[in-house]
Amino acid sequence: MGIAVFRAWPAKSVQHLGMIGSFLLCIFILDTITDVEIAFAVLYVGVILLAVRFLSKRGVRVLATICIFLTILSFCLTSSGIWGAGIWNCLISLSAIGIAAYLALKIVDAEAAIHESHAQLARIARITSLGELAASIAHEVNQPLAAIATTANACRRWLDAHPPNVDKARQSADRIVHDANRASEVVARVRRWAEGQPALKEKLDLNKSIYEALSLAQQEIVGRNISLHLHLENQLPPVFVDPVQIQQVIANLLLNAIEAMLEGPSYNRQLEVTSRSESGKVLVAVADTGVGIPGDALDRPFDAFWTTKEKGIGIGLSISRSIIEAHGGRIWAMPNVNTGAVFQFTLPIEEETTR
Amino acid sequence: MTSASDVSQTQPVVYVIDDDASVRAAIDDLLASVGLCVKLFASSAEFLEDRVADAPGCLVLDIRMPDQSGLDFQRHMKLVGICLPVIIITGHGDIPMTVRAMKEGAIEFLTKPFRDQDLLDAIQRGIQQDRVRRQQAALVANLRERWKSLTQGEREVMDLVVLGRLNKQIAAMLNVSEITVKVRRGHVMRKMQASSLAELIRIADKITESV
Repeated sequence: MGIAVFRAWPAKSVQHLGMIGSFLLCIFILDTITDVEIAFAVLYVGVILLAVRFLSKRGVRVLATICIFLTILSFCLTSSGIWGAGIWNCLISLSAIGIAAYLALKIVDAEAAIHESHAQLARIARITSLGELAASIAHEVNQPLAAIATTANACRRWLDAHPPNVDKARQSADRIVHDANRASEVVARVRRWAEGQPALKEKLDLNKSIYEALSLAQQEIVGRNISLHLHLENQLPPVFVDPVQIQQVIANLLLNAIEAMLEGPSYNRQLEVTSRSESGKVLVAVADTGVGIPGDALDRPFDAFWTTKEKGIGIGLSISRSIIEAHGGRIWAMPNVNTGAVFQFTLPIEEETTR
Repeated sequence: MTSASDVSQTQPVVYVIDDDASVRAAIDDLLASVGLCVKLFASSAEFLEDRVADAPGCLVLDIRMPDQSGLDFQRHMKLVGICLPVIIITGHGDIPMTVRAMKEGAIEFLTKPFRDQDLLDAIQRGIQQDRVRRQQAALVANLRERWKSLTQGEREVMDLVVLGRLNKQIAAMLNVSEITVKVRRGHVMRKMQASSLAELIRIADKITESV
């Protein structure tokens, strides 16, 4: 297992392009060798409708142009047949290709609109869950505060009484202390949850961590038709980290990658996990061919409460970033070569003696 | 549960339902410091198990409770015939919630943390309101007792008298002599303790209003 940068075109896409190419070639040959009035070119419509499932809008336009070009070319190359009928049939083929391409593009648009409305729903769900979270924290803090304010007033009334009821006032004061502690406990709990303090540092082989995280996700990977590619560097230098936290980060990246691909079509699900060392750092990258991240939002996944998942709260990556940064590392996202996203993090290689 | 040990019949009682023990204890402390008798409950179910004392009182109700929301309980109370004035307290009050609570008849809506004087004022208002309601109820109950002492014939005469019918008309309608009507009318005035026709009409109104 050496280092490999995942530049290769995903195998499934190559298969698809090959299939389209061979269909085009067959139709072109048949159209050319048969008489000019036999309109084999109409079959290009089938190729376009087939290709719309996995080509982008631009791809569909290019394909339609190629089909039109091939139709005209084979018309010119064909020497036998009745010319009058040939011209009409050729025109009918061309308009059929045009109409098919137009309708195919409409379908692509409609799918994009559906996707956008899904994203909008996800945003609403996210805001709702953020609101709920904030409301429940606010409630938790507000209850003891309300009790403190009321008890303090009671305490003052005990003291203002004639004669002052010092015993009762003392009891009230005791309860104020108790409630104040309760409020600060709530705050401390929220803070503990928000921060991921690196509790301990242990020597850790990241490759081992990756294998463990993969074994947790194995069910998902095998069951969902995902092909896994590992590019793990042998003799990876160990890092000194909190193993549980780092494994959480890796598992989170893997599950995100898997979920991102489950939303897309099932024929192109490639999960690539890479590890390598470079100038004092160790890098771990998880690449998927899923829905990806828009180019202008590459920083957003690490914001708290940002998510592309319909049911996500959007705190996984935010916590991952706190963990990695607390270990002196860096985590970032970038688009994958063809589709999908790459999430990667680095951790500094520390000598045990420097600690 | 009871914070003041000697509860005399007429001493008002404040019922507090809040699932938060700290808030409950704080309100108990505050009300005890001004000498009010308090009963504390952690849930509406707990409150329903206890019997409402035969004394003027009011209910301090938290909206947010685990088993049943305060607003739902407000409605439920009416169904089971508990007519204590309700003061709603909440940690997070919004306008729709306030409107709903007021529509269901809450006399005050306070957001935690509330000013102690606001709560005490509301409680005093509630108790006063309940005291008046109880007096009214007692009066009506008394009038109904008097009405029950009437015979069937006297009741028929009273119904027509308060509608403004003359003795002659009543006699014709009931198919009895005018003298009989006059005698029954006299009994009605005496048994209902009405000194004039106007007073009898008012009494009749009160009895029918309460039905």
